[in-house]
Amino acid sequence: MNGYNFAYLDEQTKRMIRRALLKAVAIPGYQVPFGGREMPMPYGWGTGGMQLTASILGADDVLKVIDQGADDTTNAVSIRAFFERVAGVETTTVTTAASVIQTRHRIPETPLEPGQILVFQVPIPEPLRFIEPSEQETRLMHALEEYGVMHVKLYEDIARHGHIATTYAYPVKVAGRYVMDPSPIPKFDNPKLDMSPALLLFGAGREKRLYAIPPYTRVESLDFEDHPFEVQRWDERCALCASADSFLDEVITDDAGGRLFVCSDTDYCESRREESA
Amino acid sequence: MPWPTLNDPVHDSQRLFRQLLAALSEPGTLHTLEAPTPPEGGIGTALWGTLLTLCDLDVRVWLAAELDTPALREALLFHTGCRLTDEPTQADYALVTPATMRDAPDFAQGSDEHPERSTTLLVALDTLVTADSAGGSWRLSGPGIPGQRALSVGERARPLMRQLAASRERFPRGLDAILACGKRLVALPRTTRLEEIA
Repeated sequence: MNGYNFAYLDEQTKRMIRRALLKAVAIPGYQVPFGGREMPMPYGWGTGGMQLTASILGADDVLKVIDQGADDTTNAVSIRAFFERVAGVETTTVTTAASVIQTRHRIPETPLEPGQILVFQVPIPEPLRFIEPSEQETRLMHALEEYGVMHVKLYEDIARHGHIATTYAYPVKVAGRYVMDPSPIPKFDNPKLDMSPALLLFGAGREKRLYAIPPYTRVESLDFEDHPFEVQRWDERCALCASADSFLDEVITDDAGGRLFVCSDTDYCESRREESA
Repeated sequence: MPWPTLNDPVHDSQRLFRQLLAALSEPGTLHTLEAPTPPEGGIGTALWGTLLTLCDLDVRVWLAAELDTPALREALLFHTGCRLTDEPTQADYALVTPATMRDAPDFAQGSDEHPERSTTLLVALDTLVTADSAGGSWRLSGPGIPGQRALSVGERARPLMRQLAASRERFPRGLDAILACGKRLVALPRTTRLEEIA
């Protein structure tokens, strides 16, 4: 597109983000500050993820964008259209065909492959923020590996509900050192972070932080010996593709209590329906 | 043009960056960088491509005496606008050889609060093989490595590798290293554990 640099950001901004990304993969789970730029959309719509995508994207990349697992929701459609316009890259909805996948709140059901890069949009990157509003203090807590409060939060869940009621943005420990917020993915997706063959990058635009999990890195979800980490399970199957092991969204179909459960990952659901058709 | 630079700065630097990103996220994997011929001096194509990709006016570079040539200085300043520094602690990137590391220059290790404020070593080597066939072999493990990988860097690089191995105790502080020989490049971030194979 004329009038813009390739992938929207100027080259100096990309270099700044690229240098920060190299630090981020060298210190897995640590939040590297970066000079976040204004993007042509409001904070909270994925400006952090977009800046990372713009910095890594090349002309021969194939980009997929998902929002809550779906390729066809507003956020996904507009970010995909944005990069088609400013970078002219090929886009896809097929998980296996993408080299870069930008995501809001899900990890695709189809297992990722070596060489793929998953870019997460992150609203609040600091997992300790709920208990400690001061950046200086949370930074010190990370430095001292002082993570007891995270277990207090999970314990309070157990005391109140009888089980760990945290269902998304479930805290993880990366490579045995940093406690990290995996972004508001459902805890159903947490096991996919562990030893993932794909590179995982996280960008928070408002908070101007980025972090990373390299491929083949140990990622543990915090838990207790007597209350081990568990993911969500459904009694239902997907109403469209009959999948029994994907993350299901509950959809209200009428005002008389009608409801059905469908896969949140649209590409996974469609490919299963095509296979069985 | 007296010193060649990237033909297509936007797309060439993107391609080289992705190789660097792949190298650092999967330590011990070998990457061959297609980059312009470096200015006269001891650095190879891979390191020149790395400098052109990462350096700009926000970056301070420290040059080891044995690699410091007028041609390199001029080309680096002309093409990237980076600043050169004589203070190892101030350097974002340090261009070194294994011999440089024998004097143990005081490069920035970052702090526990800000581990990213550290120097990244760009090391010019004469041997770089990702197998444990030759002498001076090292076994790599850690994040980015399924199981183990092996690396041979030559006898002269042994003290450098020992230094890197020792610095792992200070994590999250530490030095990230990009090792290069000619066109080939391997990265050893501070998370990679290094064991000497006897």
